[in-house]
Amino acid sequence: MIWPGGRSIPWQSIVSLKGAIACACIALIGWFAAAFWLDQRQVFLPGQTSVGHHLFETSCNSCHEGFKPVSNDTCRRCHQAELAEDAHGTQKFMDPRWAEDLEKLAVLTCTTCHNEHVHMFDRGVHLQPDLCMTCHDGIITGELKSHDGFTPDGCWTAGCHNFHDHRSISTGFLRQNLDQPPMLPVQALPERTVSPSLETAPRPDLTSEFEELGR
Amino acid sequence: MKPWIAMVLALLLMLVYPAPAGGEGVTSEAVEEATQLWQESLHALNQVNCSSCHQPAATRPLQGHPDHESCRSCHKQAVETFLLGKHGVRLLEGQSPLTPAMARLPMKAAAHQRQMTCATCHDVHSVNTVAAAVDACLSCHNDAHSLNYENSKHAQLFAADRQLPRPSATAVSCATCHLPRHQVKAGEGTLTQVNHNNNTYTLLPRDRMVKEVCMGCHTAWNTATTAFLMTTWWRPILITLPVRP
Repeated sequence: MIWPGGRSIPWQSIVSLKGAIACACIALIGWFAAAFWLDQRQVFLPGQTSVGHHLFETSCNSCHEGFKPVSNDTCRRCHQAELAEDAHGTQKFMDPRWAEDLEKLAVLTCTTCHNEHVHMFDRGVHLQPDLCMTCHDGIITGELKSHDGFTPDGCWTAGCHNFHDHRSISTGFLRQNLDQPPMLPVQALPERTVSPSLETAPRPDLTSEFEELGR
Repeated sequence: MKPWIAMVLALLLMLVYPAPAGGEGVTSEAVEEATQLWQESLHALNQVNCSSCHQPAATRPLQGHPDHESCRSCHKQAVETFLLGKHGVRLLEGQSPLTPAMARLPMKAAAHQRQMTCATCHDVHSVNTVAAAVDACLSCHNDAHSLNYENSKHAQLFAADRQLPRPSATAVSCATCHLPRHQVKAGEGTLTQVNHNNNTYTLLPRDRMVKEVCMGCHTAWNTATTAFLMTTWWRPILITLPVRP
């Protein structure tokens, strides 16, 4: 066989190259099939899974419906309670007043900020720490005197603000709480009470069966 | 077939197949001990008998080690939140129970193969949650934060309540902060529930812990400054500091 430029390559080498490629493909398919067959799905993971998800990372179906991208519904299956009072929730941005902000950051989907198997800095969030400045730049550039000179990456990395829940950092909350003494006058959690329905215990109803099993 | 070959095969089969679920390690002493604990427990006084957990329906075989599904029939909220937390999420996703060996945090080597279900932390016969609130955690967790608990003021408060069936409201255990109690409306009164979802709510101060947990006792200024100290750039140094003697 003669290639343009006059170089000649023996045809046998093409066959062996093809053979090598075919063998590699078969080996790869076999390897993936074996991974499925033996339930060793770690081989399909494209990177380290985040702290919250690594315990069930080989249960692909928990987050992935076939080959579809992860939807809000799959996230809500576990995180529904956390999102019940979401400060940046879908409901807020369906309001026309905030609709314009969606053009800066598409916060209607969980995967805008949270992404698995990629570089991330915490909690499955893969955006930069100055994410808040996409919409709230004014806060540190003169709009709020108390925040003058703050760095753009400090909103939640410093532990003050939580993107989804800002009940414990709003101005009203601070005004109500910051002049209190160091400890509350009554330091207590709710008591647990269980009221018994009988005065004396009944007879155990399976003791003899257990003893028979033990023999 | 020669008799000795049959005998070897039978022995191998016994090794390969686990014993029936009901008969695992059941001795009459163990039954006696469990019965004794149960008779003094709130389970007994609330008509939860052996069969309620070990034979939930008449048609089911005797279960030696009832799983979380048995507990769920009465403790719905506790089991549902457990399944959303780190300890139970593998069960929710249809996988084998979590073992400490799978964790990224340091765990005690002797506990690596323990399987996390309700009974791993709770002594279901005594219905005493004092052990589940601290001792159960420390039987697996081996990181500096967990080990330093014993040296804290929280632990001193908890030590005063060790003889109770349930930690009192002023004791501060691991569970007080990481599996907190909260009140819900039930009819005309309120019901205290324990949130067993330790995954999202109450794992790190900067998430929701300050509002939901710390502020049960401490005021906002106290908590906010502590949480701030724990979440700034030097937090990684704090958590790697050696355990205080």
